[in-house]
Amino acid sequence: MVNYRYYQHKHKPKKQRRKLSYSPKASKIPKEPRVNPIVAFFKELGECLSNGSLFIKLSTVFMGLGHIYNCQFIKGLLVFGVQALYIVYMIFGAAPNLAKFSTLGTVKREAIFDPITMQNTVNDYDNSFTILLGSVCALFITFLFFLFWASNIKSMYETQKLIESRKHVNTFREDFKEILGNKFHVTLLTFPVIGVILMNIIPILILVAVAFTNYDQNHLPPSELFTWVGFRNFVKLFTQTTTSSFGYAFRKILEWTFLWAFFATVSNFILGHLIALLINSKLIKIKRFWRTLFIVTIAVPQFVTLLLVRNFFADSGLFNSICSNIGLTAFLQNIGLVSKNISYIPFLTSPGWAKFMIVLINIWVGIPYQILISTGILLNIPRDQIEAAMIDRASPYQIFKNVTMPYVMFVEGPTLVTDFVRNINNFNIIYLLTQDVYVTTDQALANSHGKEVDLLVTWLFRLTNEYYDYKMASVIGVIVFSICSVFTILSFSRIVAGEREEVFM
Amino acid sequence: MKTKKLILSILLHLLLAVITFIWIIPIIWLVVTAFSGYKGIDISHFFPETWSLKNFGTILFEPDSVVQYVTWFKNTFIIAIFTCIISTVFIFMVGYAFSCMRFSGRKQLMVFCVVLNMFPGVLSMIAVYFVLKSLGLTNSHIGMIIVYSAGSGLGYLIVKGFMDTIPISLRESARLEGANELQIMLSIIIPICKPIIVYQVISSFLVPWGDFVLAKLMLNSGLSKDWTIAIGLYNMLDKSLINKYFSIFCAGGLLVSIPISILFVLMQKFYIEGVSGGATKG
Amino acid sequence: MKKRFLSIALVSIMVTAAISGCGNPEVANDTPVTEAPSSDNSGGEAADNNAAADAVQNLINATTDPVDLTVWASEEDQEFTQGVLEDFKALYPDVTFNITLGAESESTAKDTVLSDVEAAADVYTFAHDQINDLVNAGALQEVQATYTYDVATANVETSVEAASVGGKLYAYPMTADNGYFMFYDSSVIKDPSNLEAMIEDAKAAGKKIAIQFNNGWYLYSFFKAVGLEATLNDDGKTNTCTWNEAGGTDVCQAILDAVATGAVVNMDDGTTVTGIKDGTVCAAVNGIWNAQVAADAWGENYQAAKLPTMHIGDKDCQLSSYSGFKLVGVNPHTKNMGWSMLLAEYLTSEEVQTERFEARNLGPSNINAAASDAVKNDKAISALAAQAPYSTPQVIGGNYWSPAETLGQILASGNPDNTDLQKLLDTAVEGINAPVSE
Repeated sequence: MVNYRYYQHKHKPKKQRRKLSYSPKASKIPKEPRVNPIVAFFKELGECLSNGSLFIKLSTVFMGLGHIYNCQFIKGLLVFGVQALYIVYMIFGAAPNLAKFSTLGTVKREAIFDPITMQNTVNDYDNSFTILLGSVCALFITFLFFLFWASNIKSMYETQKLIESRKHVNTFREDFKEILGNKFHVTLLTFPVIGVILMNIIPILILVAVAFTNYDQNHLPPSELFTWVGFRNFVKLFTQTTTSSFGYAFRKILEWTFLWAFFATVSNFILGHLIALLINSKLIKIKRFWRTLFIVTIAVPQFVTLLLVRNFFADSGLFNSICSNIGLTAFLQNIGLVSKNISYIPFLTSPGWAKFMIVLINIWVGIPYQILISTGILLNIPRDQIEAAMIDRASPYQIFKNVTMPYVMFVEGPTLVTDFVRNINNFNIIYLLTQDVYVTTDQALANSHGKEVDLLVTWLFRLTNEYYDYKMASVIGVIVFSICSVFTILSFSRIVAGEREEVFM
Repeated sequence: MKTKKLILSILLHLLLAVITFIWIIPIIWLVVTAFSGYKGIDISHFFPETWSLKNFGTILFEPDSVVQYVTWFKNTFIIAIFTCIISTVFIFMVGYAFSCMRFSGRKQLMVFCVVLNMFPGVLSMIAVYFVLKSLGLTNSHIGMIIVYSAGSGLGYLIVKGFMDTIPISLRESARLEGANELQIMLSIIIPICKPIIVYQVISSFLVPWGDFVLAKLMLNSGLSKDWTIAIGLYNMLDKSLINKYFSIFCAGGLLVSIPISILFVLMQKFYIEGVSGGATKG
Repeated sequence: MKKRFLSIALVSIMVTAAISGCGNPEVANDTPVTEAPSSDNSGGEAADNNAAADAVQNLINATTDPVDLTVWASEEDQEFTQGVLEDFKALYPDVTFNITLGAESESTAKDTVLSDVEAAADVYTFAHDQINDLVNAGALQEVQATYTYDVATANVETSVEAASVGGKLYAYPMTADNGYFMFYDSSVIKDPSNLEAMIEDAKAAGKKIAIQFNNGWYLYSFFKAVGLEATLNDDGKTNTCTWNEAGGTDVCQAILDAVATGAVVNMDDGTTVTGIKDGTVCAAVNGIWNAQVAADAWGENYQAAKLPTMHIGDKDCQLSSYSGFKLVGVNPHTKNMGWSMLLAEYLTSEEVQTERFEARNLGPSNINAAASDAVKNDKAISALAAQAPYSTPQVIGGNYWSPAETLGQILASGNPDNTDLQKLLDTAVEGINAPVSE
């Protein structure tokens, strides 16, 4: 099945093929012309409205009327209740913020101190961030309400069609039962989705919005206001002038981010598998013991080990003392790897060494996990294939090359992309190893508060945490988000939207 | 032939021993420093000159404003328990919905979730902070539980992958017998998913123990009794404190890892199955 | 009497409000309590005290609910501050206080305060270099009136200067010892007056002199020594730095030469302390917070002095320094402004400053407290006093730090790329002087 489809795709024009693999509908019924889901949504909605009864049309304003007309009284009242709640929220909760959304506030905080009562008299000031937060929430809730409204109209229209064709219409009790039946996914997804909206979607929307404002140290609410500035921050990130080196810093840091993500992913993957193969080799005794030793390193929380390792490799740390005692420092100085001006090996303080060490330490941190994964995969290799190969008298190397490796790649290939994206955002390693320790020697980077070893995420973190440059941090955040999305969609559309999940069914 | 194999085997064992040795050096350093009688970082000796149990005494029995270890442990433990329950339940709900139910927009929603999940929380943490503040939940452990568990549904992939391997016929026969989806989920799917449950429980239980960035931002009252272990230990390495607290930091790190490693060793089998199960099924 | 007093006050407040509303806040500054009753028929100092006492009495009368206050002090000061807070409570027996003491290092107070001013403590301590950022972000309440003692006259002038921005007082000076000086092991260093002699001594003993070049705070002293400046402009945000003018490259060369001897080493605080403890460091340019470690390690041989001279260009120049102060600030978003101000005053009063010196060995900023023999005999504090003529309170904008840090790092690592020194300075100055908002 899989092969057949692949074959089929291969002969399509490239662009077409890609589209096909994105679209779940198209891959199931390839002949159906692909319709933009948004267009389809509105088309269907229009159909409902034009063909629906008068009450359906009326319930665009008074929701639930259609249900009541269809004798679904409880449902109608519930739906109307939701609408009432929404209206109350909009008027009392959201309107004050939305009214100021276009300016993000105009009244600056003024406090007058009264020396006699020892009190501050504060005016009724605007807090730009509260306005932004309130407005984003209101807009998002409006969007959700619109979806609810549209699905409500569609459901009424369907009920109408059922009535017209004299079919059975679910009673409220039956509808209610559905939430454990065919509509169970709604029940299941409600709370997780609320959580995601609260902790993921709203914050991301705010991040995107802040990227278009001048929210920085000079415009910190509640004392100051910030406002919209259009694309100015994006322009700043991509240009390099004499006074602003953001363009330079961005390019440098982006390069290193990708380089790092590549090396970190590949090194962990290859070495992890080699060590797992070694442990699982038939010649090794007490496998569980060896594995446990590696697992012990996972058990210590990552930030503890990383901070520990940072001190271990400090300029005047333990390892440097050892190196200078055994003459390694002098040797490295002689072959030119360490500058003669310094008496230590700058493991985490010079750009080249630090990058090298960070990748090494990442291997140290990541491989125990990789061993666990690889062990699981190696144990899952179909026995019959190996046995067949053994009957054919294949050498261990041949088995590895022709059976083990293809299987591992088949299983783990897609997760490599995930790991790559995770490494792009690998905040902990870089932050914990270099914060407070690494001082950049690139002046242009320093002028925009970047460091050679920074990833986009750690740069962003420094901009927010130490320089309160929320606007630039948000721009970087938006870019990181776009990069991650592209990679993730590339790797997952195949798995999620493809037919692979159906194989087992 | 046999001697050749023996030599090879010895060589491989040696190689493995060297590798493992490299891996556990920092852990050994952690352990010996924790038992050191010297408070700061000893840069000239790997093994301490004087041994002592004082560090453990300090963290367990003599709390001061810097070291409130027992309180932190309790805080983190409570947060971890609730995080772990909510996260596991959420992940299961989402995993079941995506794996066993069919509804329109399902696949788009799945991709959307995966994309959102790749987005690190660090990027939007200021916004998260203000969202929580508007709910009045900063500086509270409930707030921390929400931060750690609310978005956990996005990490459904591993669970879904596992559930995809469960034959559809099992569910269908139950349905024919009149069971609803909730009953199917509770009585058929969950028992089969035991290894993946263990995996999820462990991994979500571990989150609060290792995070200091979000915790530091959310618990910003300056009161060390509110902190989690991670903030507390991180704080000990502050420039002004490191020379007095480094070995206490090590002792603290060691104590945290004991329960975790026991958990790991006991659950090794399930964990391996869980990790690789996720990888196998994407 | 009381009614009239209040009405006058109200009028004056309304006038103040009207005028400062028009963007002339200076008027607000001119109406502290000490002046309010001058229209109240009884002039002179007695009236001043009366008015202040009246205000405090009114506050006590007006306070019926328990007062919730949060205070942040550094980790090391927790025990001492807790004691002071108890004393403060005892001063006002009629009022119930719930004072929570949190730990927040003075050097990083800004980071926590600015991430959410509204959630920050009501009263917090901080190092004075953060005052500009804190004032710009509206995180400090201007000290418009004092009630228990006069902050501006009771403290040394430089500390009041350090607690002021644009001529307005924003904080209460607490200590005057947060600058840097030099301490050394007199068994190794014979002549602490010039760096060249020190290097010889250190080399002979195989020990190191620790100076933190890659930190703008310390790096300043070398450039200032030849008269080159780095200061904040009047806008309170951007800087003027003249390091790339004549003499700048000499300073760089001098630092490079010093580092090249191998005896002068760039070390951060933590490394310096470790170095002192294990005996590899024999002298350090550092602050009082690490001096105690050295005093313990070197015992009798511990000495402190002003910074040495350094051979820059063709003459010996006295190294300058930043003087440093710890300040107490009041959060303008506090719900109990009156009590916060009184507490801040109490934390910085002469009595408490004296106690603080006795308990924690921190140098007072209060003139009377600093005049005691015990303070004068303290080695570190007298070294700071000797350095005082060559030091300036640090007033610099946020763009200074990263470029200065990098410049220092390049010099400390011996200029590995052999970049032209003038070019190094030009780039650094460009970053330091860069506009803040566009």
